[in-house]
Amino acid sequence: MIENMITAIDQFATSEPDRIAYDDLGRTNTYGELKQRSDALAAHLDAMQLPAHAPILVYGGQTFDMMATFLGVVKSGHAYVPIDTHSPLERITTINEIAQPAAAIAVSALPTTLAETPVLTAENLRTIFDGPAVDYQVDHAVSGDDNYYIIFTSGTTGKPKGVQISHKNLLSYVNWMLSDDFALPAQPRALSQAPYSFDLSVMDWAPTLASGGTLVALPKTVTDNFKQLFETLPDMDLDVWVSTPSFMDICLLEPTFDAAHYPRLSRFLFCGEELTHATAQALHDRFPAARIFNTYGPTETTVAVTQVEITTEILADYPRLPIGYVKADTAISVVDDQLNPVPAGTEGEILISGPSMSKGYLNNPDKTAKAFITVDGQTVYRSGDLGVQLANGLIMYRGRTDFQIKLHGYRIELEEVNHYLSQEDHIQVGVAVPRYDRNHKVSQLIAWVVPSEHDFASELDLTKAIKDNLQGGDMMEYMIPQRFVYKDSLPMTPNGKVDIKSIIAEVNQ
Amino acid sequence: MDIKATVLDILNDLTGSDVSGAMDDNLFDSGIMDSMASVQLLLSLQSELGVNVPVSEFERSEWDTPNKIIAKVESLA
Repeated sequence: MIENMITAIDQFATSEPDRIAYDDLGRTNTYGELKQRSDALAAHLDAMQLPAHAPILVYGGQTFDMMATFLGVVKSGHAYVPIDTHSPLERITTINEIAQPAAAIAVSALPTTLAETPVLTAENLRTIFDGPAVDYQVDHAVSGDDNYYIIFTSGTTGKPKGVQISHKNLLSYVNWMLSDDFALPAQPRALSQAPYSFDLSVMDWAPTLASGGTLVALPKTVTDNFKQLFETLPDMDLDVWVSTPSFMDICLLEPTFDAAHYPRLSRFLFCGEELTHATAQALHDRFPAARIFNTYGPTETTVAVTQVEITTEILADYPRLPIGYVKADTAISVVDDQLNPVPAGTEGEILISGPSMSKGYLNNPDKTAKAFITVDGQTVYRSGDLGVQLANGLIMYRGRTDFQIKLHGYRIELEEVNHYLSQEDHIQVGVAVPRYDRNHKVSQLIAWVVPSEHDFASELDLTKAIKDNLQGGDMMEYMIPQRFVYKDSLPMTPNGKVDIKSIIAEVNQ
Repeated sequence: MDIKATVLDILNDLTGSDVSGAMDDNLFDSGIMDSMASVQLLLSLQSELGVNVPVSEFERSEWDTPNKIIAKVESLA
């Protein structure tokens, strides 16, 4: 049982300083270096005398210095807000406005300025990390209900929401990951593929570093080029795999991705989107001795709150796979639209409460009050997810109560996409709708657009101009629709709103 | 079977765009294609043309324009 994340990670620096903490395509760093760099950064942040508890933005990719920076920030008593290098400029400035951070740390060079926020540049950070070792006393670190990290997710009106995860929330999650529910190998070599701004990444770094394992990074530059991906994967010598099911679908295209070629790989953990029967079955056939876990949870309840091992029996019994059993310290109820519990086997909205539930959205009391409600004197999180609890305790996922979707693991509010579309210069009005594949998964985001008058020679040129503008704006790359369909008008409801349901029906017919 | 027409059909279905007027444009730079679209392309080539492209041989720079994709498929068919 871990009682403090920082102490848990630091103890390996004391007991085995040469143990490898991070492996970035063969370049390794030790637990000793992790402590030395995070201590030096914490001392520097202390000397800056920043406002107590104010969050700090941390910008960078999948590198050891990001992990050292996260740890240094929490040691000095601040929460960090991870922002991935693939984020567009305006999103960085929007998060800066909402979070009102005490400082920003550019682990990779920041592509923009941040108004009044003091910035530690990559050069500053290098100097701090390469400086003399600091004998740092961890005596005012993040603890208890203090925020440990704040991850920004999609919001409905173009304003991302910062989910505040406390040290207590994180401990509840990590102790569950390290329990017999997953039976992870001791000191694993775990895949670190999800960007650190996506909370799926917490599933790899947190249990791995808390147990003295090695994070093995696989950055987007490698995964984007399949030839390089399959040259890299066999050398990673992984025993724990963490990814979205979509990323696994890419790997399963390669026939040599199997137990014979990856004999050490013994655990597969999935989260972030629905694990389809087809994906799980194919993986089980390739790795018959490995243990495959499906998990589910909103960012607001810290990564995941349910798990189930996908065994031969589960595959035989469930054509659509369950998301699992709720973890021991957490309660899930399934309710109707009046928030009354429904009987086992009946569909309703999933409510979640327990020690891994966030205190709410940073500087956003309205959205917090809407999502974190009081039922029978207890605060619960309204997930907006539809589910069914079976008599045997297993929970089945059924979809959403609203227009939020998951695309390749990323959570997207369609209303946010629509907001950006309607602001684009070439678009009069536009809405984005999901196209589903036969496994109920979103395979594409399709925009139906009424264009403004334009001089483009072809619709392709128009699409390129629109995508170019959207990429230069506030939208994350994964929010930009893959297909643009041009219309003279959009179908409307009797109330005069765009009839999104009829468009969804038409693109999925 | 006309490989060129089939490939253009597949790209049209994937991207919602008629790319026949932009045969040498980089589909990844313009955001028309991404990793998941590459996966769909490989699956469609297999099901519609019987062309098996080993995913481990998929070097993105060799597949980034309609003309390059057609040439690749013709060499593998």
